Amino acid sequence: MFGLIGHLTSLEHAQSVASDLGYPEYADQDLDFWCSAPPQIVDHFKVVSATGQTIEGKYVESCFLPEMLANRRIKAATRKILNAMAHAQKSGINITALGGFSSIIFENFKLDQIKRVRNLDLDFKKFTTGNTHTAYVICKQVEEAAPKHGIDLADATVAVCGATGDIGSAVCRWLSERTKVRDLLLVARNQERLNNLQAELKFGRVLPMDQALPQADVVVWVASLPKGLDVDATMLKQPCLMVDGGYPKNIDTTFARPGIHVLKGGIVEHSLDIDWHIMNIVNMDVPGRQLFACFAESMLLEFEKLHTNFSWGRNQITIEKMDLIGEASVRHGFRPLLT
Amino acid sequence: MPTLEASPVMDFQSETYKDAYSRINAIVIEGEFEANDNYKSLAEHLMSDHKDELIKLAKMENRHMKGFQACGKNLSVTPDMPFAKDFFSQLHGNFQTALAEGNVVTCLLIQSLIIETFAIAAYNIYIPVADDFARKITEGVVKDEYLHLNFGEEWLKANFETAKAELEEANRANLPLVWKMLNEVEKDAAVLGMEKDALVEDFMITYGEALANIGFTSREVMKLSAQGLASA
Repeated sequence: MFGLIGHLTSLEHAQSVASDLGYPEYADQDLDFWCSAPPQIVDHFKVVSATGQTIEGKYVESCFLPEMLANRRIKAATRKILNAMAHAQKSGINITALGGFSSIIFENFKLDQIKRVRNLDLDFKKFTTGNTHTAYVICKQVEEAAPKHGIDLADATVAVCGATGDIGSAVCRWLSERTKVRDLLLVARNQERLNNLQAELKFGRVLPMDQALPQADVVVWVASLPKGLDVDATMLKQPCLMVDGGYPKNIDTTFARPGIHVLKGGIVEHSLDIDWHIMNIVNMDVPGRQLFACFAESMLLEFEKLHTNFSWGRNQITIEKMDLIGEASVRHGFRPLLT
Repeated sequence: MPTLEASPVMDFQSETYKDAYSRINAIVIEGEFEANDNYKSLAEHLMSDHKDELIKLAKMENRHMKGFQACGKNLSVTPDMPFAKDFFSQLHGNFQTALAEGNVVTCLLIQSLIIETFAIAAYNIYIPVADDFARKITEGVVKDEYLHLNFGEEWLKANFETAKAELEEANRANLPLVWKMLNEVEKDAAVLGMEKDALVEDFMITYGEALANIGFTSREVMKLSAQGLASA
């Protein structure tokens, strides 16, 4: 059994979903109510691999809402994640992916220091951020989508925004070692981490975002767009491929103009239908087949019987692990989203 | 990303703290006292086949009560027992009525599910903000309370088919009282560093788990455990 911990994108979204699913007790409730709401298993489904192997999964709705961060209900936000993890573990799930903001909150608020949740000791080996598969899928999206838009990677400059994060640094490692990209631009806020990353890669240049974007043929976003940043889209190269690996996906509205191709990053398509309801709720274009790569990682770990926290801790993603999860991804029928 | 604020440092000797503690401590003492009484009544009147087990639970509750009395003394606080008696009066009344009518399912829902879960939630949220003396005592108590919850769960699980309708009815009548009780102590609990949303959440999680163990479906659990919360 694998698990997925997810959440809805806003209070308004949560209210409408509760109403659609037939939970009037949860619909029309304000943020205070959601701060008190317990995690719930809201879907139980099967996934069939391209090999024919079938596994079962459960979707745990954490009841976290992004408004909790915006309204400084930080304790509530961290409780949601820990409680959802405890719920998954108590439900006998072998490996659970922390989707959406879950892994970001876990990492940012150092929740690994809190092992005890009520009468349960969390076993972190049963959880994965899913970041290795997400990084792998984003890299494949860059490699496979760039030529489709007339961009030859051997002659291209790739900017990675959010380069020092867990996914960003993995993407930089892969692009440096496995592709022939001409130049790599490392963009992030923390200068020290940027310098360390450049030293590790022995490749690429550290640049501020406003200087990096006009030089880039490909932009990988693994951080959401900084608030207040006014990007002049006319300065961008044409064609330019943008892989939006951030959460929530908000790049396409900012850069909607001819010659700029925005791809939803870190999304995979399965070759067989999955009979679940959840991806309808998170507004995937093809809900029966498309899903976040981080979720797919927990499926892959279950298919491969790799019941371990495959992606865990910051900047631990190696090329070898990306290879391993990438091979499993192909074997079981997942493809990076390319349109 | 905002940062997590450090928990405020508690001044356990401040008048504000001790004033709030006099009511919260009294509630806990009264709760344990009534639990002792309720288990003894069940053993005598309705569940004589589980007499030994129930008497054992009752004795544990009595021990807890003494532990919490010591917590009050340790802070030189006199518990406000009249407040606590009044606080529990409606739940207490409903238990007594069910006992008199021989409704063992309702009795177990009130004592073994609602009151035990209420205690577990309160103790779980209190432990991180308690003074050192009370923390040790409360940590010991909360382990026992899970056993008590388990007693009710197991019996109701074994009798789920016949108990289901009465459980739903008893839930409808009694769960809204819990939200009302939580509202009554919201301010005092906040002085002790216990946030209402955390208390409600912990209650709903533990109560929901118990209902699921007994045999309710996920959908039923979501509805039952949130009953009356919206209008509280």
